[in-house]
Amino acid sequence: MTRFVRQLLNLLAVTAFLAGCASVPRPEPGPPPSPFPAAPAHAESPAIASLMDSARADFAAGRVANAAASLERAVRIEPRNPRLWQQLARVRFEQHDYVQAESCAARSSSWAGSDDALRADNWRLIAQAREARGDSEGARAALDAAERLR
Amino acid sequence: MFRRRIFGEIEPGRSKFWRYLRYALLTLALFGAGFTLYLDFRVRSEFEGRRFALPARIYARPLELHAGLRISQADVIDELRENGYREGITEGDSGWFVRDGDWLEIAVRPFRFWDGPQNALRVRANFDANGVTKVQGAQAQDLPLARVEPLPIGGIYPGNNQDRVLVRLSEVPKPLVQALIATEDRAFYTHHGYDLRGIARAAWSFVRGHGLQGGSTLTQQLVKNFFLTPERTLQRKGTEFIMAVLLELHYGKEEILETYLNEIYLGQDRDRAIHGVGLASLYYFGKTVDRLTLPECALLVALVKGPGVYDPYRHPDRALERRNLVLRETRNVDSITPEEYMLARSTSLGVNAKAARGTSPHPAFVDLVYRHLRRDYDEADLRSEGLRIFTTLDPRVQAKAERVLERRIAQFDREKRFGEPGLEGAVVVTDSQTGEVEALVGGRDARYRGFNRAVDAARPVGSLLKPAVYLTALADPAHYTLITPLDDGPFVWKSRGAPDWEPMNYDRQFHGAVPLRTAFAQSYNVATARLGTDLGVSRVLGTVQRLGIEREMQPYASTLLGALDLSPLEVAQMYQTIASGGFRSPLRAIREVTTQDGKPLKRYPLAVEQAFPAEPVYLITAAMQGVVREGTGQSLKNWLPPETAVAGKTGTTDEQRDAWFAGFTGDKLAIVWIGYDDNRSAHLTGAGAALPVWGELMASLAVEPLALPKPQGIETVLVDPQSGLRADGGCNGALELPFAQGSAPAERAPCATAAGVAVQEFKQNAKNWWQRLWGR
Repeated sequence: MTRFVRQLLNLLAVTAFLAGCASVPRPEPGPPPSPFPAAPAHAESPAIASLMDSARADFAAGRVANAAASLERAVRIEPRNPRLWQQLARVRFEQHDYVQAESCAARSSSWAGSDDALRADNWRLIAQAREARGDSEGARAALDAAERLR
Repeated sequence: MFRRRIFGEIEPGRSKFWRYLRYALLTLALFGAGFTLYLDFRVRSEFEGRRFALPARIYARPLELHAGLRISQADVIDELRENGYREGITEGDSGWFVRDGDWLEIAVRPFRFWDGPQNALRVRANFDANGVTKVQGAQAQDLPLARVEPLPIGGIYPGNNQDRVLVRLSEVPKPLVQALIATEDRAFYTHHGYDLRGIARAAWSFVRGHGLQGGSTLTQQLVKNFFLTPERTLQRKGTEFIMAVLLELHYGKEEILETYLNEIYLGQDRDRAIHGVGLASLYYFGKTVDRLTLPECALLVALVKGPGVYDPYRHPDRALERRNLVLRETRNVDSITPEEYMLARSTSLGVNAKAARGTSPHPAFVDLVYRHLRRDYDEADLRSEGLRIFTTLDPRVQAKAERVLERRIAQFDREKRFGEPGLEGAVVVTDSQTGEVEALVGGRDARYRGFNRAVDAARPVGSLLKPAVYLTALADPAHYTLITPLDDGPFVWKSRGAPDWEPMNYDRQFHGAVPLRTAFAQSYNVATARLGTDLGVSRVLGTVQRLGIEREMQPYASTLLGALDLSPLEVAQMYQTIASGGFRSPLRAIREVTTQDGKPLKRYPLAVEQAFPAEPVYLITAAMQGVVREGTGQSLKNWLPPETAVAGKTGTTDEQRDAWFAGFTGDKLAIVWIGYDDNRSAHLTGAGAALPVWGELMASLAVEPLALPKPQGIETVLVDPQSGLRADGGCNGALELPFAQGSAPAERAPCATAAGVAVQEFKQNAKNWWQRLWGR
């Protein structure tokens, strides 16, 4: 049983790393890894793309609040874009606002349509947020949900 | 003893008179020295410690131009004009626009946003019938996004409502200073705070019985405005004199002049006092002080003598005459050339078209902003620290909401004539997805700063509470679906210690067995009361709470039918949670707060919380679309096409005291309330009075249709409305309805298995079966 939990935690850590999200605890100083996937899989409108770019740049420069502000600007323009909500969830996670990280990820999934990969990403994000809040059981349930979408 | 030692040796023989005179003189000298020291202390501590109280400045949301934005060219132009943009090219300057067919070129002013400064910017936007199609920069390169600086919509002012924009002396154009000195105090650079010739003149005039007047140096004027009350007495003149000398002793001419230019009172805008040349140039000419021309400078100097007497709006002739006098004085001291003088003289006053706004043109919204800010800031800081508040107000939506409400209420008043005071109303508009408040109207006279009905008028909500009842039911798909038959037969609710409750339908009829969605669409009270009591009042109130209502609610059965007082803003919060798919976002009016010089202080981030699973919210939204498609909200089709697929709910309270309409599209949510402040019967219904306001407003906003994402746990099934059973292509009038997975009827309707001629017969049979089931 404990081994199973450890395996899950390992998986969680790897997933977190792959998703490019720093999981807690974070290694000493160093720049935080970008929570933004390198190449967006979807063609965004120019307005959204430019805001995502500046969010990415702000984030890389450690201006996390500005990154959040740019993403909120984008959400105001395209509130139904699940990728924006997901990025917002990642930024909230970085801001250690785990409740909002989970909510934004859930909001992302509500607009995800048939995009199961995106939905699975959101579940993994939710798992991280729950783990960070100390809710291991909830985290496990979220990971299971992510698995089911494979 | 002390006295004896000193005065005891005085020669006898000297008269007592001289002794007393010396006492008196000594006392006076001591007193005088003490008073001067006191004044010196005041001058130094107050002048140095003094920071002008700067009101918090409140801005609307910035317009973000991008391809796909649903806004018409005319609406953009309206907003630019409102923000002081002028039509026509002014090279080398910003703050203008030019129309060229579908194109609109805008010279956007520089502005310090929350996330940093943005330079002046040249933007070209192309429009078609749907909105913006293209945004380009100066070199015709595509711009993904162009932000126009936000409209100032008011402030939170110091107690005396003084408003000012601080300027440095270096920003003030030379002609302004020259004209000021030529007119008000020619010896300014050489005197020590007083001007003997001026005093002599004033004394002569006093002696001749013309009262105390004139003769003040700029320093004295500053002392008067800064430290003293405006009464004209000799004593006050004396104090002013001493303080002016002291001020000159401690501070340089430049410092005194700069303070003077920021302090001077230059106009009155309703309840707002215009102080300082910085704000005055914005107020009268719509530009910053450094851009003022000579005649404009001269007009500001003309106003020093009396902003009321020489008000360029009310007394343009007097203002012009005084301005030209200022120009002549400036010419007399050779500060300007004869050519400059002649040219300036022949210029018209050139003031902005007057848009009186007082402390705010949208007091209800500013009131809401203020209340939110008070949670995080001291009142004193808000009124003096010059904070910059970036809000969510959409000036276009606000203007239309104000206009529609005002006009409709005036019309109802004329039609009904129920006497004074007239009908009132309130409107709240939010972004249906983010919960940002885009407009808030607190009464029919939107400029009136008073009772803010949108926030403070708690009124019975009537049927607006029904979505909470039905949402509670639909969250339990094992027992309730959109087609579950509800009993709308006579109903009496008995509870101990309370009189029997016997709700009636609006049409005073009973409708027997009705499908749930119909009972909701037609707003049947009896069926709803029975459903709500079956579910349990406290369970329904739990839903209301989760939708975002925080006030305490009485667990009475009558609450189910809306015997619950809520403000329009609270209702908006409740419907917001439904509109955003079950995610509750606290309604927000503020995005960011920065210091006066742009340092970010606080953000109010978008926050969401999943209050309900997606499935029941999807179902209740479908039911609310039914209200508009075929229920009590049908008349909305007079304003919006069916494709908009609005989800809405009408509300009318007992004796028609309150008329409500609440609803949302894909991007906007609005709540409209109409009624009398004193609770008289308005003889208006939600559909008859509030809905037209809602419809007209939304139709003017180019709203997005409502297209909900279908949650995974929802399937749509073709249903035969007669039998409530599963249908197929063979059924006439079959409806496609959403069901929570597993809750759709499994049994096939007769029509679904038969074909051709048999269908009608089966339908009849089905109907009979349906009727038998319910015994009527």
